[in-house]
Amino acid sequence: MLQVYLPVAEISVNVLVMLGLGAAIGFLSGMFGDGGGFLLTPLLLFSGIPPAIAVATGANQIVASSVSGALVQWRSGNIDFRMGWVLTADGVVGAFAGVFLVKLLSRLGHAGVFISLVYVIFLGVIGSLMFMESLRAILRSRAGKPISKRKPGEHTWIHGLPLKMRFHRSRLYISAIPPLAIGLTVGLLASVLGVGGGFVVVPAMIYLLRMPTNIVIGTSLFQIIFVTAIVTLLYATLSQTLDVVLAFILIVGGVIGGQFGANAGQRMKGEHLRIILAIMVLAVSIRLLIGLVVTPDDLYSLAPVGVGA
Amino acid sequence: MITQRLVITFAAAMLLVPALGAAAADAPRSEQVQSDLSTREISIQSNFNGANIVLFGSIDFSRAPSPEQGAYDVIMIIRGPSKPMVVRRKEQIAGLWVNGPSQTFSAVPGFYAALASRPFRAIASEETLKSLKIGFSYMDLGKAEPPEPPGDGAFRASLIRLKKEHELFKESDDGVSFLGRSLFRGSVTLPVNVPIGRYTTEVYLFRGGKLLSQSQSSLQVHKVGFERVVYALAFQRPFLYGILAVLVAIATGLAAWTLFRKD
Repeated sequence: MLQVYLPVAEISVNVLVMLGLGAAIGFLSGMFGDGGGFLLTPLLLFSGIPPAIAVATGANQIVASSVSGALVQWRSGNIDFRMGWVLTADGVVGAFAGVFLVKLLSRLGHAGVFISLVYVIFLGVIGSLMFMESLRAILRSRAGKPISKRKPGEHTWIHGLPLKMRFHRSRLYISAIPPLAIGLTVGLLASVLGVGGGFVVVPAMIYLLRMPTNIVIGTSLFQIIFVTAIVTLLYATLSQTLDVVLAFILIVGGVIGGQFGANAGQRMKGEHLRIILAIMVLAVSIRLLIGLVVTPDDLYSLAPVGVGA
Repeated sequence: MITQRLVITFAAAMLLVPALGAAAADAPRSEQVQSDLSTREISIQSNFNGANIVLFGSIDFSRAPSPEQGAYDVIMIIRGPSKPMVVRRKEQIAGLWVNGPSQTFSAVPGFYAALASRPFRAIASEETLKSLKIGFSYMDLGKAEPPEPPGDGAFRASLIRLKKEHELFKESDDGVSFLGRSLFRGSVTLPVNVPIGRYTTEVYLFRGGKLLSQSQSSLQVHKVGFERVVYALAFQRPFLYGILAVLVAIATGLAAWTLFRKD
Protein backbone atom coordinates (compact mmCIF):
# COMPACT_ATOMS: atom_id res chain seq x y z
CA MET A 1 0.00 0.00 0.00
CA LEU A 2 1.11 3.48 -0.97
CA GLN A 3 4.37 2.14 -2.28
CA VAL A 4 5.87 4.27 -5.02
CA TYR A 5 8.63 3.25 -7.41
CA LEU A 6 11.60 5.61 -7.66
CA PRO A 7 12.74 5.70 -11.30
CA VAL A 8 16.39 6.62 -10.71
CA ALA A 9 17.01 4.91 -7.36
CA GLU A 10 15.18 1.84 -8.78
CA ILE A 11 13.57 0.92 -5.49
CA SER A 12 10.10 1.23 -3.97
CA VAL A 13 9.42 3.39 -0.94
CA ASN A 14 6.38 4.14 1.18
CA VAL A 15 4.96 7.57 0.32
CA LEU A 16 3.70 8.28 3.84
CA VAL A 17 7.02 7.45 5.49
CA MET A 18 8.91 9.75 3.09
CA LEU A 19 6.31 12.54 3.45
CA GLY A 20 6.64 12.31 7.23
CA LEU A 21 10.42 12.37 6.99
CA GLY A 22 10.26 15.47 4.78
CA ALA A 23 7.85 17.18 7.18
CA ALA A 24 10.06 16.50 10.20
CA ILE A 25 13.12 17.86 8.41
CA GLY A 26 11.15 20.87 7.16
CA PHE A 27 10.01 21.66 10.68
CA LEU A 28 13.57 21.63 12.02
CA SER A 29 14.76 23.62 9.03
CA GLY A 30 12.23 26.39 9.59
CA MET A 31 12.95 26.41 13.29
CA PHE A 32 16.72 26.58 13.23
CA GLY A 33 17.47 28.19 9.92
CA ASP A 34 19.39 25.11 8.98
CA GLY A 35 18.69 23.12 5.85
CA GLY A 36 18.06 20.11 8.04
CA GLY A 37 20.26 18.09 5.72
CA PHE A 38 22.55 16.87 8.47
CA LEU A 39 19.55 14.85 9.70
CA LEU A 40 17.95 14.17 6.32
CA THR A 41 20.93 12.41 4.74
CA PRO A 42 21.46 9.95 7.65
CA LEU A 43 17.69 9.32 7.91
CA LEU A 44 17.48 8.57 4.19
CA LEU A 45 20.39 6.16 4.58
CA PHE A 46 18.64 4.44 7.48
CA SER A 47 15.54 3.97 5.29
CA GLY A 48 17.60 2.08 2.73
CA ILE A 49 18.25 4.80 0.16
CA PRO A 50 21.73 4.32 -1.42
CA PRO A 51 24.32 6.92 -0.21
CA ALA A 52 24.85 8.64 -3.56
CA ILE A 53 21.08 9.03 -4.09
CA ALA A 54 20.56 10.24 -0.51
CA VAL A 55 23.15 13.02 -0.81
CA ALA A 56 21.95 14.35 -4.20
CA THR A 57 18.24 14.05 -3.45
CA GLY A 58 18.70 15.55 0.01
CA ALA A 59 20.33 18.62 -1.54
CA ASN A 60 17.37 19.05 -3.90
CA GLN A 61 14.90 18.88 -1.02
CA ILE A 62 16.82 21.52 0.90
CA VAL A 63 16.50 23.93 -2.06
CA ALA A 64 12.72 23.96 -1.60
CA SER A 65 12.67 24.11 2.20
CA SER A 66 15.20 26.93 2.29
CA VAL A 67 13.28 28.93 -0.37
CA SER A 68 10.12 28.99 1.73
CA GLY A 69 12.13 29.44 4.93
CA ALA A 70 14.13 32.33 3.48
CA LEU A 71 10.95 34.04 2.22
CA VAL A 72 9.49 34.01 5.72
CA GLN A 73 12.72 35.53 7.07
CA TRP A 74 12.85 38.06 4.22
CA ARG A 75 9.38 39.37 5.11
CA SER A 76 10.61 39.95 8.64
CA GLY A 77 13.65 41.77 7.24
CA ASN A 78 16.04 39.17 8.60
CA ILE A 79 18.34 38.71 5.61
CA ASP A 80 21.66 40.45 5.06
CA PHE A 81 21.75 40.12 1.28
CA ARG A 82 25.25 41.49 0.93
CA MET A 83 26.58 38.90 3.36
CA GLY A 84 24.48 36.25 1.63
CA TRP A 85 26.00 36.97 -1.76
CA VAL A 86 29.55 36.98 -0.40
CA LEU A 87 28.93 33.56 1.20
CA THR A 88 27.31 32.22 -1.98
CA ALA A 89 30.01 33.39 -4.37
CA ASP A 90 32.74 31.08 -3.12
CA GLY A 91 30.27 28.55 -1.78
CA VAL A 92 29.85 27.62 -5.43
CA VAL A 93 33.61 27.14 -5.77
CA GLY A 94 33.63 24.89 -2.71
CA ALA A 95 30.69 22.89 -4.07
CA PHE A 96 32.56 22.14 -7.30
CA ALA A 97 35.61 20.98 -5.38
CA GLY A 98 33.50 18.81 -3.09
CA VAL A 99 31.61 17.01 -5.86
CA PHE A 100 34.86 16.15 -7.63
CA LEU A 101 36.41 14.98 -4.36
CA VAL A 102 33.45 12.66 -3.70
CA LYS A 103 33.61 11.33 -7.26
CA LEU A 104 37.30 10.53 -6.85
CA LEU A 105 36.81 8.88 -3.44
CA SER A 106 33.84 6.90 -4.76
CA ARG A 107 36.02 5.34 -7.39
CA LEU A 108 38.48 4.30 -4.67
CA GLY A 109 35.66 2.98 -2.47
CA HIS A 110 36.35 5.33 0.41
CA ALA A 111 33.51 7.83 -0.07
CA GLY A 112 31.26 6.24 2.55
CA VAL A 113 33.87 6.26 5.29
CA PHE A 114 35.12 9.72 4.32
CA ILE A 115 31.61 11.21 4.41
CA SER A 116 30.88 9.62 7.80
CA LEU A 117 34.20 10.78 9.21
CA VAL A 118 33.69 14.38 8.06
CA TYR A 119 30.19 14.26 9.56
CA VAL A 120 31.51 12.93 12.87
CA ILE A 121 34.26 15.54 13.16
CA PHE A 122 32.24 18.57 12.09
CA LEU A 123 29.06 17.68 13.90
CA GLY A 124 31.03 16.65 16.99
CA VAL A 125 33.07 19.84 17.23
CA ILE A 126 30.25 22.22 16.36
CA GLY A 127 27.72 20.38 18.48
CA SER A 128 29.99 20.49 21.55
CA LEU A 129 30.88 24.17 21.12
CA MET A 130 27.27 25.10 20.58
CA PHE A 131 26.09 23.02 23.50
CA MET A 132 28.57 24.58 25.93
CA GLU A 133 27.88 28.11 24.72
CA SER A 134 24.10 27.83 24.86
CA LEU A 135 24.22 26.09 28.24
CA ARG A 136 26.33 28.94 29.59
CA ALA A 137 23.88 31.47 28.13
CA ILE A 138 20.92 29.69 29.70
CA LEU A 139 22.62 29.49 33.10
CA ARG A 140 23.55 33.15 32.88
CA SER A 141 20.00 34.21 32.07
CA ARG A 142 18.69 32.01 34.91
CA ALA A 143 21.04 33.85 37.24
CA GLY A 144 19.45 37.07 36.04
CA LYS A 145 22.51 38.48 34.34
CA PRO A 146 22.02 40.21 31.00
CA ILE A 147 23.20 38.36 27.92
CA SER A 148 25.53 40.27 25.71
CA LYS A 149 26.34 38.35 22.60
CA ARG A 150 28.23 41.25 21.15
CA LYS A 151 30.70 43.10 23.27
CA PRO A 152 30.86 46.58 21.77
CA GLY A 153 34.30 47.80 20.92
CA GLU A 154 35.78 44.34 21.27
CA HIS A 155 38.33 43.70 18.55
CA THR A 156 39.60 40.27 17.59
CA TRP A 157 42.19 39.22 15.01
CA ILE A 158 39.38 39.19 12.45
CA HIS A 159 39.15 42.95 12.61
CA GLY A 160 42.78 43.29 11.63
CA LEU A 161 42.30 41.68 8.21
CA PRO A 162 42.30 43.72 5.00
CA LEU A 163 39.54 43.99 2.32
CA LYS A 164 37.04 45.57 4.67
CA MET A 165 33.38 45.57 3.66
CA ARG A 166 30.39 47.20 5.28
CA PHE A 167 27.43 44.92 6.00
CA HIS A 168 24.66 47.38 6.91
CA ARG A 169 21.98 44.91 7.84
CA SER A 170 24.31 43.07 10.23
CA ARG A 171 25.76 46.35 11.50
CA LEU A 172 29.26 45.08 10.74
CA TYR A 173 32.34 46.58 9.16
CA ILE A 174 34.71 43.69 8.70
CA SER A 175 37.12 42.14 6.26
CA ALA A 176 35.54 40.05 3.46
CA ILE A 177 38.09 37.28 4.07
CA PRO A 178 36.33 35.47 6.96
CA PRO A 179 32.93 35.37 5.16
CA LEU A 180 34.69 34.13 2.03
CA ALA A 181 36.45 31.40 4.00
CA ILE A 182 33.17 30.38 5.63
CA GLY A 183 31.43 30.30 2.24
CA LEU A 184 34.12 28.07 0.75
CA THR A 185 33.97 25.63 3.67
CA VAL A 186 30.18 25.51 3.47
CA GLY A 187 30.18 24.84 -0.26
CA LEU A 188 32.62 21.99 0.26
CA LEU A 189 30.60 20.50 3.10
CA ALA A 190 27.31 20.93 1.27
CA SER A 191 28.51 18.88 -1.66
CA VAL A 192 30.35 16.23 0.35
CA LEU A 193 27.59 15.69 2.90
CA GLY A 194 24.49 16.65 0.93
CA VAL A 195 23.61 19.29 3.50
CA GLY A 196 22.83 22.99 3.35
CA GLY A 197 25.67 23.71 5.71
CA GLY A 198 23.57 25.74 8.12
CA PHE A 199 25.08 23.93 11.06
CA VAL A 200 28.43 25.46 10.11
CA VAL A 201 27.27 28.85 8.81
CA VAL A 202 25.01 29.67 11.74
CA PRO A 203 27.60 29.21 14.49
CA ALA A 204 30.32 30.72 12.31
CA MET A 205 28.29 33.86 11.73
CA ILE A 206 27.36 34.13 15.39
CA TYR A 207 30.75 33.39 16.94
CA LEU A 208 33.28 34.41 14.29
CA LEU A 209 31.56 37.30 12.55
CA ARG A 210 29.47 38.28 15.57
CA MET A 211 26.36 38.88 13.49
CA PRO A 212 23.04 39.41 15.29
CA THR A 213 21.28 36.04 15.77
CA ASN A 214 18.02 37.08 14.10
CA ILE A 215 19.88 38.08 10.91
CA VAL A 216 21.97 34.89 10.94
CA ILE A 217 19.08 32.48 10.30
CA GLY A 218 17.64 34.40 7.34
CA THR A 219 21.03 34.98 5.76
CA SER A 220 22.01 31.35 6.23
CA LEU A 221 18.79 30.15 4.55
CA PHE A 222 19.34 32.61 1.72
CA GLN A 223 22.80 31.31 0.83
CA ILE A 224 21.75 27.68 1.37
CA ILE A 225 19.28 28.06 -1.54
CA PHE A 226 22.11 28.77 -3.95
CA VAL A 227 24.63 26.32 -2.60
CA THR A 228 22.20 23.39 -2.58
CA ALA A 229 20.87 24.34 -6.03
CA ILE A 230 24.41 24.12 -7.39
CA VAL A 231 25.06 20.87 -5.54
CA THR A 232 21.83 19.38 -6.95
CA LEU A 233 22.81 20.41 -10.45
CA LEU A 234 26.34 19.04 -10.09
CA TYR A 235 25.21 15.65 -8.80
CA ALA A 236 22.49 15.40 -11.48
CA THR A 237 25.03 16.15 -14.19
CA LEU A 238 28.14 14.38 -12.97
CA SER A 239 26.92 11.29 -11.15
CA GLN A 240 23.26 10.89 -12.18
CA THR A 241 22.16 10.02 -8.69
CA LEU A 242 19.32 12.52 -8.26
CA ASP A 243 15.84 11.03 -7.93
CA VAL A 244 13.25 13.75 -8.53
CA VAL A 245 10.33 11.57 -7.48
CA LEU A 246 11.85 11.01 -4.05
CA ALA A 247 12.90 14.67 -3.89
CA PHE A 248 9.38 15.85 -4.69
CA ILE A 249 7.81 13.69 -1.98
CA LEU A 250 10.34 15.04 0.54
CA ILE A 251 9.78 18.60 -0.70
CA VAL A 252 6.00 18.44 -0.27
CA GLY A 253 6.43 17.11 3.27
CA GLY A 254 9.20 19.60 3.93
CA VAL A 255 7.47 22.81 2.90
CA ILE A 256 4.48 22.00 5.10
CA GLY A 257 6.70 21.21 8.09
CA GLY A 258 8.80 24.30 7.35
CA GLN A 259 5.91 26.72 7.93
CA PHE A 260 5.20 25.36 11.39
CA GLY A 261 8.88 25.24 12.21
CA ALA A 262 9.43 28.91 11.39
CA ASN A 263 6.62 29.94 13.73
CA ALA A 264 7.84 27.67 16.48
CA GLY A 265 11.36 29.07 16.10
CA GLN A 266 10.20 32.67 16.46
CA ARG A 267 8.46 31.87 19.73
CA MET A 268 11.51 30.30 21.32
CA LYS A 269 14.55 31.92 22.91
CA GLY A 270 17.75 31.88 20.86
CA GLU A 271 19.78 29.97 23.44
CA HIS A 272 17.04 27.35 23.85
CA LEU A 273 16.93 26.84 20.10
CA ARG A 274 20.69 26.48 20.00
CA ILE A 275 20.87 23.92 22.80
CA ILE A 276 18.22 21.71 21.14
CA LEU A 277 20.06 21.95 17.84
CA ALA A 278 23.36 21.19 19.62
CA ILE A 279 21.93 18.04 21.21
CA MET A 280 20.62 16.81 17.85
CA VAL A 281 23.91 17.55 16.13
CA LEU A 282 25.79 15.60 18.83
CA ALA A 283 23.37 12.67 18.64
CA VAL A 284 23.84 12.29 14.88
CA SER A 285 27.60 12.57 15.29
CA ILE A 286 27.69 9.83 17.94
CA ARG A 287 25.41 7.58 15.89
CA LEU A 288 27.70 7.89 12.89
CA LEU A 289 30.82 7.30 14.99
CA ILE A 290 29.30 4.09 16.34
CA GLY A 291 28.70 3.00 12.75
CA LEU A 292 32.38 3.49 11.96
CA VAL A 293 33.79 1.76 15.04
CA VAL A 294 31.46 -1.20 15.63
CA THR A 295 32.30 -4.31 13.62
CA PRO A 296 29.91 -4.28 10.64
CA ASP A 297 27.43 -7.15 10.22
CA ASP A 298 28.77 -7.72 6.76
CA LEU A 299 32.41 -7.10 5.95
CA TYR A 300 31.73 -7.32 2.24
CA SER A 301 29.95 -4.77 0.11
CA LEU A 302 28.98 -4.63 -3.52
CA ALA A 303 28.84 -1.60 -5.80
CA PRO A 304 28.77 -0.88 -9.50
CA VAL A 305 32.22 0.17 -10.74
CA GLY A 306 32.72 3.91 -10.40
CA VAL A 307 29.86 4.49 -7.95
CA GLY A 308 30.37 5.05 -4.26
CA ALA A 309 30.34 2.55 -1.47
CA MET B 1 5.75 -71.41 -20.94
CA ILE B 2 4.95 -70.40 -24.46
CA THR B 3 2.00 -68.27 -23.46
CA GLN B 4 4.06 -66.57 -20.80
CA ARG B 5 6.78 -65.60 -23.30
CA LEU B 6 4.16 -64.37 -25.70
CA VAL B 7 2.71 -62.05 -23.09
CA ILE B 8 6.11 -60.57 -22.32
CA THR B 9 6.86 -59.98 -25.97
CA PHE B 10 3.50 -58.39 -26.45
CA ALA B 11 4.01 -56.04 -23.49
CA ALA B 12 7.42 -55.01 -24.81
CA ALA B 13 5.95 -54.33 -28.22
CA MET B 14 3.21 -52.18 -26.63
CA LEU B 15 5.81 -50.11 -24.85
CA LEU B 16 7.62 -49.51 -28.08
CA VAL B 17 4.55 -48.41 -29.98
CA PRO B 18 4.76 -44.66 -29.28
CA ALA B 19 8.41 -44.51 -30.23
CA LEU B 20 7.83 -46.58 -33.30
CA GLY B 21 4.88 -44.44 -34.24
CA ALA B 22 6.90 -41.25 -33.98
CA ALA B 23 9.66 -42.58 -36.16
CA ALA B 24 7.81 -44.96 -38.37
CA ALA B 25 10.17 -44.92 -41.29
CA ASP B 26 13.58 -43.54 -40.32
CA ALA B 27 15.69 -44.01 -37.19
CA PRO B 28 14.30 -42.62 -33.87
CA ARG B 29 14.81 -38.85 -33.86
CA SER B 30 16.55 -37.26 -30.93
CA GLU B 31 14.64 -35.12 -28.48
CA GLN B 32 14.35 -31.39 -29.08
CA VAL B 33 13.40 -28.82 -26.48
CA GLN B 34 11.33 -25.74 -27.22
CA SER B 35 10.58 -22.98 -24.76
CA ASP B 36 8.92 -19.63 -24.43
CA LEU B 37 8.01 -17.04 -21.84
CA SER B 38 4.64 -16.00 -20.47
CA THR B 39 5.57 -12.43 -21.29
CA ARG B 40 8.00 -10.80 -23.68
CA GLU B 41 7.85 -7.41 -22.07
CA ILE B 42 7.74 -6.16 -18.52
CA SER B 43 6.81 -2.53 -17.97
CA ILE B 44 7.94 -0.70 -14.88
CA GLN B 45 5.77 2.17 -13.70
CA SER B 46 5.07 3.88 -10.39
CA ASN B 47 3.05 0.98 -9.00
CA PHE B 48 5.68 -1.62 -9.96
CA ASN B 49 6.14 -4.06 -7.15
CA GLY B 50 7.94 -6.86 -8.90
CA ALA B 51 6.73 -9.25 -11.59
CA ASN B 52 6.30 -12.96 -12.03
CA ILE B 53 7.40 -14.59 -15.25
CA VAL B 54 6.63 -18.11 -16.34
CA LEU B 55 8.96 -20.07 -18.60
CA PHE B 56 7.39 -23.05 -20.26
CA GLY B 57 8.51 -25.55 -22.82
CA SER B 58 7.98 -28.89 -24.36
CA ILE B 59 10.08 -31.81 -25.49
CA ASP B 60 9.54 -32.89 -29.07
CA PHE B 61 9.95 -36.61 -29.74
CA SER B 62 9.69 -37.37 -26.04
CA ARG B 63 10.41 -40.97 -25.20
CA ALA B 64 9.16 -40.75 -21.65
CA PRO B 65 6.50 -43.39 -21.13
CA SER B 66 4.74 -41.38 -18.37
CA PRO B 67 5.25 -38.11 -16.48
CA GLU B 68 6.07 -40.03 -13.28
CA GLN B 69 8.90 -41.92 -14.90
CA GLY B 70 10.97 -38.73 -15.04
CA ALA B 71 13.29 -39.65 -17.85
CA TYR B 72 14.17 -36.01 -18.53
CA ASP B 73 15.69 -33.18 -16.58
CA VAL B 74 15.39 -29.50 -17.37
CA ILE B 75 17.53 -26.58 -16.23
CA MET B 76 16.45 -22.99 -16.92
CA ILE B 77 18.74 -19.96 -16.72
CA ILE B 78 17.43 -16.39 -16.73
CA ARG B 79 20.07 -13.67 -17.03
CA GLY B 80 19.58 -9.93 -16.86
CA PRO B 81 21.83 -7.28 -18.44
CA SER B 82 25.43 -7.34 -17.15
CA LYS B 83 27.67 -4.59 -15.84
CA PRO B 84 30.99 -4.41 -14.02
CA MET B 85 30.73 -4.59 -10.24
CA VAL B 86 33.27 -4.29 -7.45
CA VAL B 87 33.25 -6.30 -4.21
CA ARG B 88 35.02 -4.70 -1.29
CA ARG B 89 36.06 -6.09 2.08
CA LYS B 90 36.21 -3.85 5.12
CA GLU B 91 39.27 -3.76 7.32
CA GLN B 92 39.89 -2.18 10.69
CA ILE B 93 42.41 0.66 10.45
CA ALA B 94 43.07 2.77 13.54
CA GLY B 95 39.80 1.59 15.05
CA LEU B 96 37.71 2.50 12.01
CA TRP B 97 36.19 0.06 9.56
CA VAL B 98 37.23 1.14 6.08
CA ASN B 99 37.10 -0.55 2.71
CA GLY B 100 40.23 -2.55 2.11
CA PRO B 101 40.96 -5.10 -0.60
CA SER B 102 38.59 -5.38 -3.52
CA GLN B 103 37.95 -7.49 -6.57
CA THR B 104 36.20 -6.34 -9.73
CA PHE B 105 34.08 -8.58 -11.92
CA SER B 106 33.64 -7.31 -15.46
CA ALA B 107 30.19 -8.71 -16.31
CA VAL B 108 27.91 -9.30 -13.36
CA PRO B 109 24.32 -9.94 -14.44
CA GLY B 110 21.80 -7.61 -12.82
CA PHE B 111 19.53 -10.61 -12.40
CA TYR B 112 20.26 -14.33 -12.46
CA ALA B 113 18.05 -17.30 -11.81
CA ALA B 114 18.87 -20.97 -12.24
CA LEU B 115 15.89 -23.30 -11.98
CA ALA B 116 16.03 -27.07 -12.21
CA SER B 117 13.71 -30.04 -12.05
CA ARG B 118 16.06 -31.88 -9.67
CA PRO B 119 19.23 -31.00 -7.72
CA PHE B 120 21.77 -29.71 -10.25
CA ARG B 121 24.40 -32.28 -9.39
CA ALA B 122 21.90 -35.10 -9.85
CA ILE B 123 21.10 -33.84 -13.34
CA ALA B 124 24.58 -33.46 -14.75
CA SER B 125 28.21 -33.92 -13.80
CA GLU B 126 30.32 -31.10 -12.38
CA GLU B 127 32.21 -30.93 -15.68
CA THR B 128 29.02 -30.48 -17.67
CA LEU B 129 27.66 -27.81 -15.30
CA LYS B 130 31.02 -26.08 -15.42
CA SER B 131 31.27 -26.07 -19.20
CA LEU B 132 27.71 -24.73 -19.49
CA LYS B 133 28.34 -22.22 -16.63
CA ILE B 134 25.21 -23.32 -14.81
CA GLY B 135 24.38 -22.42 -11.21
CA PHE B 136 26.05 -20.23 -8.61
CA SER B 137 29.20 -22.35 -8.58
CA TYR B 138 29.93 -21.87 -12.26
CA MET B 139 27.95 -18.85 -13.45
CA ASP B 140 29.80 -16.34 -15.58
CA LEU B 141 30.66 -13.08 -13.81
CA GLY B 142 33.17 -11.94 -16.39
CA LYS B 143 36.84 -11.32 -15.80
CA ALA B 144 37.99 -11.00 -12.20
CA GLU B 145 40.51 -8.26 -11.47
CA PRO B 146 42.83 -8.95 -9.72
CA PRO B 147 42.50 -12.70 -10.35
CA GLU B 148 42.51 -14.48 -7.02
CA PRO B 149 44.46 -17.61 -6.28
CA PRO B 150 42.33 -20.65 -7.15
CA GLY B 151 40.41 -22.13 -4.26
CA ASP B 152 39.89 -18.80 -2.57
CA GLY B 153 36.65 -17.44 -3.95
CA ALA B 154 35.65 -15.31 -0.97
CA PHE B 155 34.90 -12.22 -3.07
CA ARG B 156 32.95 -14.17 -5.66
CA ALA B 157 31.00 -15.97 -2.93
CA SER B 158 30.24 -12.67 -1.19
CA LEU B 159 29.05 -11.11 -4.44
CA ILE B 160 26.63 -13.98 -4.97
CA ARG B 161 25.49 -13.90 -1.33
CA LEU B 162 24.82 -10.14 -1.47
CA LYS B 163 22.91 -10.46 -4.74
CA LYS B 164 20.92 -13.31 -3.21
CA GLU B 165 20.03 -11.14 -0.23
CA HIS B 166 18.61 -8.56 -2.64
CA GLU B 167 16.65 -11.33 -4.39
CA LEU B 168 18.53 -10.63 -7.60
CA PHE B 169 20.25 -14.04 -7.71
CA LYS B 170 18.18 -17.18 -7.29
CA GLU B 171 18.87 -20.87 -7.48
CA SER B 172 16.15 -23.49 -7.15
CA ASP B 173 16.36 -27.28 -7.24
CA ASP B 174 12.64 -27.72 -7.73
CA GLY B 175 11.82 -24.65 -9.80
CA VAL B 176 10.87 -26.67 -12.87
CA SER B 177 7.97 -29.10 -12.87
CA PHE B 178 6.72 -31.51 -15.55
CA LEU B 179 3.08 -31.32 -16.50
CA GLY B 180 2.98 -34.33 -18.77
CA ARG B 181 5.27 -36.50 -20.79
CA SER B 182 6.74 -33.56 -22.59
CA LEU B 183 5.41 -30.35 -21.06
CA PHE B 184 7.22 -28.45 -18.31
CA ARG B 185 7.17 -25.04 -16.67
CA GLY B 186 9.14 -22.94 -14.24
CA SER B 187 8.41 -19.55 -12.73
CA VAL B 188 10.55 -16.84 -11.24
CA THR B 189 9.82 -13.54 -9.51
CA LEU B 190 11.61 -10.40 -10.65
CA PRO B 191 11.91 -8.18 -7.54
CA VAL B 192 11.17 -4.47 -7.56
CA ASN B 193 14.87 -3.58 -7.91
CA VAL B 194 15.44 -5.43 -11.19
CA PRO B 195 17.60 -3.60 -13.71
CA ILE B 196 16.05 -2.63 -17.01
CA GLY B 197 17.28 -4.07 -20.29
CA ARG B 198 17.25 -7.30 -22.24
CA TYR B 199 16.96 -10.58 -20.36
CA THR B 200 17.92 -13.87 -21.94
CA THR B 201 16.66 -17.30 -21.01
CA GLU B 202 18.25 -20.64 -21.73
CA VAL B 203 16.56 -23.97 -21.33
CA TYR B 204 18.70 -27.13 -21.22
CA LEU B 205 17.27 -30.61 -21.66
CA PHE B 206 19.16 -33.51 -20.07
CA ARG B 207 18.64 -37.23 -19.95
CA GLY B 208 20.88 -39.46 -17.92
CA GLY B 209 23.39 -36.65 -17.37
CA LYS B 210 23.69 -35.98 -21.10
CA LEU B 211 22.74 -32.64 -22.67
CA LEU B 212 20.24 -33.40 -25.43
CA SER B 213 19.06 -30.03 -26.57
CA GLN B 214 18.82 -26.39 -25.62
CA SER B 215 16.60 -23.46 -26.45
CA GLN B 216 16.84 -19.68 -26.01
CA SER B 217 14.42 -16.80 -25.75
CA SER B 218 14.48 -13.28 -24.38
CA LEU B 219 12.36 -10.64 -22.76
CA GLN B 220 12.64 -6.90 -22.36
CA VAL B 221 12.25 -5.06 -19.07
CA HIS B 222 11.66 -1.36 -19.52
CA LYS B 223 10.15 1.65 -17.88
CA VAL B 224 7.03 3.28 -19.30
CA GLY B 225 5.16 6.56 -18.96
CA PHE B 226 6.35 9.07 -16.39
CA GLU B 227 9.07 6.73 -15.08
CA ARG B 228 10.48 6.38 -18.58
CA VAL B 229 10.54 10.15 -19.13
CA VAL B 230 12.27 10.76 -15.79
CA TYR B 231 14.79 7.98 -16.34
CA ALA B 232 15.61 9.06 -19.89
CA LEU B 233 15.97 12.69 -18.82
CA ALA B 234 18.16 11.79 -15.83
CA PHE B 235 20.59 9.73 -17.88
CA GLN B 236 20.49 11.35 -21.32
CA ARG B 237 19.92 15.02 -20.49
CA PRO B 238 21.35 15.23 -16.96
CA PHE B 239 21.97 18.99 -17.02
CA LEU B 240 18.41 19.80 -18.11
CA TYR B 241 17.16 17.27 -15.55
CA GLY B 242 19.14 19.01 -12.79
CA ILE B 243 17.86 22.45 -13.84
CA LEU B 244 14.27 21.19 -13.85
CA ALA B 245 14.74 19.57 -10.44
CA VAL B 246 16.02 22.87 -8.98
CA LEU B 247 13.20 24.87 -10.64
CA VAL B 248 10.55 22.48 -9.32
CA ALA B 249 12.06 22.79 -5.84
CA ILE B 250 12.09 26.61 -6.00
CA ALA B 251 8.53 26.73 -7.37
CA THR B 252 7.27 24.41 -4.65
CA GLY B 253 9.01 26.46 -1.98
CA LEU B 254 7.44 29.65 -3.39
CA ALA B 255 4.01 28.04 -3.65
CA ALA B 256 4.19 26.83 -0.07
CA TRP B 257 5.19 30.25 1.18
CA THR B 258 2.35 31.94 -0.76
CA LEU B 259 -0.08 29.39 0.61
CA PHE B 260 0.99 29.70 4.23
CA ARG B 261 2.01 33.37 4.45
CA LYS B 262 0.43 35.33 7.23
CA ASP B 263 1.43 38.91 6.39
